[in-house]
Amino acid sequence: MMDYLKPLPTITDENEPFWSGLEHGELRFQRCGGCGHYRYPIAPVCPRCLAVDFVWTPVSGRGRVFSYVVFHHAYHRGFAADLPYNVALIRLEEGIFMFSNIVGIGNEAIVCDMPVMVDYERVTDTITLPRFRPVLMP
Amino acid sequence: MSPSAAIVGVGKTAQGTLPGATALGLQIAAVKGTLADSGLDKSEIDGLLTQPGTTAPEGAYNYLRLGEALGLSLRFGGSFAMGGATCLASLQMAAHAVSSGAANAVLCVFGDVARSGGSKFDRAAGWGDSWGIWGMFSAAANSAMTARRHMHEFGTESRHLGEVAIASRRHASLNPDAVMRAPLTMEQYLASRFIVEPLRLYDCCLISDGAVAFLVTTLERARDLRQRPVRVMGAAQAHSPETIGNPDWWYMPHQRLAIEQVYAQAGVGPADMDFAQIYDNFTISVIVWLEQAGFCERGEGGPFVEGGRIQLGGELPVNTAGGNLSESYMQGWLHLVEAVRQLRGECGDRQVPDAEIGLVTGRGMTLNCSAAAVLGRG
Repeated sequence: MMDYLKPLPTITDENEPFWSGLEHGELRFQRCGGCGHYRYPIAPVCPRCLAVDFVWTPVSGRGRVFSYVVFHHAYHRGFAADLPYNVALIRLEEGIFMFSNIVGIGNEAIVCDMPVMVDYERVTDTITLPRFRPVLMP
Repeated sequence: MSPSAAIVGVGKTAQGTLPGATALGLQIAAVKGTLADSGLDKSEIDGLLTQPGTTAPEGAYNYLRLGEALGLSLRFGGSFAMGGATCLASLQMAAHAVSSGAANAVLCVFGDVARSGGSKFDRAAGWGDSWGIWGMFSAAANSAMTARRHMHEFGTESRHLGEVAIASRRHASLNPDAVMRAPLTMEQYLASRFIVEPLRLYDCCLISDGAVAFLVTTLERARDLRQRPVRVMGAAQAHSPETIGNPDWWYMPHQRLAIEQVYAQAGVGPADMDFAQIYDNFTISVIVWLEQAGFCERGEGGPFVEGGRIQLGGELPVNTAGGNLSESYMQGWLHLVEAVRQLRGECGDRQVPDAEIGLVTGRGMTLNCSAAAVLGRG
């Protein structure tokens, strides 16, 4: 884990609850105390009602692949050994959109709208990243 | 309200790889070309808007640095960065400045040595937590996300993207100033390597050195200048600052808002356009803009570009000089120059016969800001 060469989050007072939640296996987001809107990216105020109050609220971790791409070029040296690698835009059940990676299947098996579930990958001693794994439909 | 303004001069430098050139030197050359084209004397210039190039260390000071070099005295000025929307946002501001009397004549200028200076357009977006944590780097990737969703939702295919690249290259082959003039076939397109799948090499714009300028003044002043004026019938901006906080981010809904404004200002619609110069940082951009601009329905942009419809001689010639994909990547500034020259009837082998009205569009940053203009023969 000492030679993790990819970008890592810079932990701040604002984002610490997001990242410490992941350490404990919990994906959580800011939910507005005024209107209930989940906001992401992490922000100082609700973009719907401008209320400042919020509660860090766990989400189901379930969502769908809204879109995805496969990188064949390494714009960052930390990803060079992973080529070709995917990045997906996930739409969570709660309506939140976030970027992540699809794990557990080959890039060629990814399709838009496929159901996925959050998975947690500890990448350094202090950082765990949320990834997403396909859910087999019954 | 449509401004009472005209574009009375355009200028551009050589494009492509210009070793030893500086952005400032190129900007100056483009301005001199513009003044000569217009016949307006430098002493009449009292407005200056610039877009700092990707290699310009002075950032927001760019217009002051250029203004100092040109010995200008200004009543209206500034530098700002909206990426590929900056050119037409500058046009909008310049047009309103001369309409209101805030300025008499406004120069708008962009210059960059992105190619020789090694600009990579590789940054990750995102405030706070960077999208790069998950490997989401580059302007190409944002557009590739759009392309993949468009393919899934509407059945758009790689060959539709290829049609855009091929049309641009065909038009560039008729433009002696274009950087990439060799013909491109569908076989070559489909065989080219993926950069960020589903986008291939030929889906991506060039990276270029060069500069572009244009000059805006009142319609009244324009009447006794050297060139036939080109009227600014409509010019508008629109922005969606939320990126992925906006569920429609990928489809760039602000583009529709920019278009609605310019059509309303000009009192025209898509059927009135003799050509369109559409922002093409990546091929998918043209397909989505064609939908947003009402040339076809949402989702029908792929089939629309088939059969030569967007080529010269087709129903709607698009990017008649080759665009960002094949002419040169001047962040959309050359799109405006081409529109002006088409309306003046100066385009030779690639002239759209009797071109009277055209649409120009631009988009920048994280797919989330845009600008558009309708221009007409004066």
